[in-house]
Amino acid sequence: MLCVALSARDARAQPAGAAPGRLEVSGGGSWIGRTSIGAADANETTPSNGSLRLFTTSSDLAAAPALDVRIGVRLLRTIAVVAEAGYSRPDLRVAVSGDTENGAPVTAVEKIQQYTIGAGVVWYVPAVRSARLAPFVEGGGGYLRQLHERALLVQAGRYYDIGGGVTYLLSTRTGWMKATGVRVDARAVVRIDGVAFTSGSHTAPSVGASFFARF
Amino acid sequence: MRRRCLALLAALVVAQADPALAYLKFGVTVGGRQVTLKWSQTPVRYFVTNVGVPGVTADDFQAAVGRAFATWHAVATASISYQLAGATNAVPGRDDGLSTLGFLSRPDLDRVLASTSFLVDASTGALLESDIFFNSAMPWSVSPGGDASRFDVESIALHEIGHFSGLGHSALGETELRAGGGRVVLSSEAVMFPIAFTPGSTAGRRLKADDIAGISDLYPADGDASTLGTLSGRVTKNGSGVFGAHVVAFDPATGSLVANFTLNANGQFSIGGLSPGPRIVRVEPLDDADIDSFFDPERQIDLDFRVAFADRVVIVPRGGDSGEIAIAIVAK
Repeated sequence: MLCVALSARDARAQPAGAAPGRLEVSGGGSWIGRTSIGAADANETTPSNGSLRLFTTSSDLAAAPALDVRIGVRLLRTIAVVAEAGYSRPDLRVAVSGDTENGAPVTAVEKIQQYTIGAGVVWYVPAVRSARLAPFVEGGGGYLRQLHERALLVQAGRYYDIGGGVTYLLSTRTGWMKATGVRVDARAVVRIDGVAFTSGSHTAPSVGASFFARF
Repeated sequence: MRRRCLALLAALVVAQADPALAYLKFGVTVGGRQVTLKWSQTPVRYFVTNVGVPGVTADDFQAAVGRAFATWHAVATASISYQLAGATNAVPGRDDGLSTLGFLSRPDLDRVLASTSFLVDASTGALLESDIFFNSAMPWSVSPGGDASRFDVESIALHEIGHFSGLGHSALGETELRAGGGRVVLSSEAVMFPIAFTPGSTAGRRLKADDIAGISDLYPADGDASTLGTLSGRVTKNGSGVFGAHVVAFDPATGSLVANFTLNANGQFSIGGLSPGPRIVRVEPLDDADIDSFFDPERQIDLDFRVAFADRVVIVPRGGDSGEIAIAIVAK
């Protein structure tokens, strides 16, 4: 907030939208919410082909901070394409309970290294744009790579995200760097495959903030 | 020089010091070293009796046994195969060089449905012959849906062919003591559980993950050594290793259970033939079957501890080992 206040005077003179061909580089952090990745019972078969439950499990990828970088190019004043990469270290948590022989409940944990690389499209909403503020809607997807502890096993998948946010210009310049600003967004991140104990998609909320420089 | 040993006795040899030998396999001592009992050449040829019993003709029996052999043969991650050599009037249990499956009347063995025996070359440890007898003093059935008053030939054959192939017993099952003695099975998740389901049940006709992992570990298919992984670790109580603790690996992705025991005084265990992925590991005392179904009765098995889980998710890598995990248990 301090940065925004100090640089607001410079930003007033320039429109928030960038001209086509401009390159924008951003880096920052995000918070990815918890994702349920499945519940499963440990069952044995009864003589009548039924099931006897030994214990039950419920698994999730815990919420975790992430580092994000993006490089975008304006195709139009309202449209940009971006390449993005991210890194985070969520916990894989498996809660075990209901043991038939009264084993104490436990939550087994393991640290995952998660890498993403992908691309997306950003649409800057023209109707509500001001001199410094540019709301946008974005969507994209890419490759998901998750490494278990000590890189014993790699699990790959893909992700898609959709969301929106705003960019806020902090300063504009006349040199090779045309502007700097902050970007905040909220997204729904859909993971497919990777570390998951059920097939299908698994969705987590994500909020992020980053600084950007426009060239 | 040859010697014969019954399967249940051979099973006692498996409590070896080397925990890398996953699953309860049969073994013999040759020249002071342990040799795992397994067929060196496949397909393994077998003969089937041409004599039936009430409720099961010889043809019925041959067909049911053939289905059970085919079930083991169909395990994609194992290389063992079998071949019917023909019908015979020879009876199982004779040292004739022919692996024979058939009926014998043993009313004295009132709790034995069937048993597998081996003929082993004691100088090399080579498996020469394996016979399976089905106790004709028991009621048998090959009915597709089971017969409520009879035991299912195919289910029992599937279990015995596991022995025939070299597998020992699995302890993946729950039982309760019966008033008149013995145990009744509430559930099991391994064909190689030592106690059969009640008469009429056909639930034992399908191999479980534990059976598949065991046969895959004993006879790995080409290339599977680099795709399957191993989970290993150590169970301790008050800082000392525990012998005979039952360790179960649960796959939350498939729901499968695969198990083994701690097999030395250091409390070390190893479970092989596993598909890569995360596992939940549970340790329990061996309290659902007779200990001598698994171990030499002279070995001291610690049963005085509570069920416990590993506090971390254990990763089975592709073609490698999880690295030793440590699980501390406490007395009841």
